[in-house]
Amino acid sequence: MINKIILSIFALLLSIKAISSTVEYSYETLADNLSHPWGLAVIDENNILFTELSGQLRKIENGVLNQKPITGVPEVLFAGQGGLSGIILDPNFKENSKIYIAFSSPDKGKKTNTLEVISASLNESSISDVKTIFKASPSRRTAAHYGARMAFLPDGTLLITSGDGFNYREQAQYLDNHFGKIIRINTDGSIPEDNPFITTEGAKPEIWSYGHRNLQGIILKDGVVYENEHGPMGGDELNIAESGKNYGWPAITYGKDYSGATISPFTEKEGMEQPIKYWVPSIAPSGMAHYTGTLFSEWTDSIFVSALVPGDVRRLKVKGSNVLEEEILFSDLGRIRDVATSPDGSIILATDGPNGKLIRVVTK
Amino acid sequence: MLLNSFNLILSIVIATCLVILQETMSNMFWLITIDMPVTIGIFLNTYFSNLFLMNLGGAIPIIALIAIGFLVAYLVTKILLIWVNLSKSYAYALAGAAAILAIVLLMPLAFYNLDVLAGGRSFLGKSILVFFGLISGYYFGNSLEKERT
Repeated sequence: MINKIILSIFALLLSIKAISSTVEYSYETLADNLSHPWGLAVIDENNILFTELSGQLRKIENGVLNQKPITGVPEVLFAGQGGLSGIILDPNFKENSKIYIAFSSPDKGKKTNTLEVISASLNESSISDVKTIFKASPSRRTAAHYGARMAFLPDGTLLITSGDGFNYREQAQYLDNHFGKIIRINTDGSIPEDNPFITTEGAKPEIWSYGHRNLQGIILKDGVVYENEHGPMGGDELNIAESGKNYGWPAITYGKDYSGATISPFTEKEGMEQPIKYWVPSIAPSGMAHYTGTLFSEWTDSIFVSALVPGDVRRLKVKGSNVLEEEILFSDLGRIRDVATSPDGSIILATDGPNGKLIRVVTK
Repeated sequence: MLLNSFNLILSIVIATCLVILQETMSNMFWLITIDMPVTIGIFLNTYFSNLFLMNLGGAIPIIALIAIGFLVAYLVTKILLIWVNLSKSYAYALAGAAAILAIVLLMPLAFYNLDVLAGGRSFLGKSILVFFGLISGYYFGNSLEKERT
């Protein structure tokens, strides 16, 4: 009798999960055989800019991949997790054609490299007026944990995620460097006067928040900044990021080191922010998008978090700091590096790896 | 022979325990510098948890890595001692140190300069780890000498 009751409860739970996944969709391949597609910037439903980690800036033009990469892109360090990474359009892109690209930049004549962000004007088949607007300091010897995602605040300032460089994790707690920080700058590279640490002695004035690990997604939703970041082994996080706040890494964490070692036995401390959601085991969150379309009306106002492990997209219904529901989508595509939404309501996915694809999710 | 095998395993276990101690100390001491409330109880709890997790819960069991390093280094030392006249205690101590040095230097090369053993990121950390390899190797060499006498 007890067994029957337990089985019934299981069946009920399974049916609830099934009900939450009733939206029917199909995939359209926009481009394949791509070299590690990484960042997406949707111009309109038929025109998409994207980066390949190996150093190419590419464009889907009128729904078709332009076989020739866009020229004028600076040299990048394509190694480990480094390469041509995040891309974002200027809020006034239609008027000024400006774009911003984040990448790992080799230091000339040295074995070090760093995260660099440029602004540029997009022309027909090239970029011009290339200007470095941010360079993380100090440089690192590792080719990992760059962050390299960007988002615009409503005031027009640019947020840039800067990862902890893996070997430099403790630096995320100190303000005299750019490891493990969210950076806020103006689009010309100058520093906004209301940045939180601009008057703090010894602090880098570009820092907006700190105590981060490897931030791989950042978006604005209803004026609130959400960011996701890779934890170590376990402890991936979704945070609400706010000016001047400390997100705790590596003093507090829900993850363990890859060696199995405890990085910190603490998960909370006064003055350090808690994630609004964390994943153990890791899902390796990559990109993030806020879905405002109506093509999939059940998903309107959801946050999409693409994930590399095991490879899917997490649809999260978030209200303020509460994650109300989580649904696993598109788990048949492998590792997904980035997710974006198109003005027509379709969803654009970039699959990871040397034979990556750009896929559009549409209604069935 | 049986005693040799036991001492070999024990030297690997000693090295593993010391490497994990260094990893734990490295993390805990830094936490103390930023005023995290690390007590002796938390330290010991973390150390024993690391003994388990670094051997059974990590990407690579640390004891297996050390065992491979030590076996190769001890074998090379055994061959070299045919021609080189050196105390076994010192020779195997150097072998233990070399094994750990190889692990901390070679692992980052395999992982894009990433130090998977966080305790070995700094020069001081590497030096301590190598010293612990030296102690473990010395124990093994000394046990061989004692057996002979």
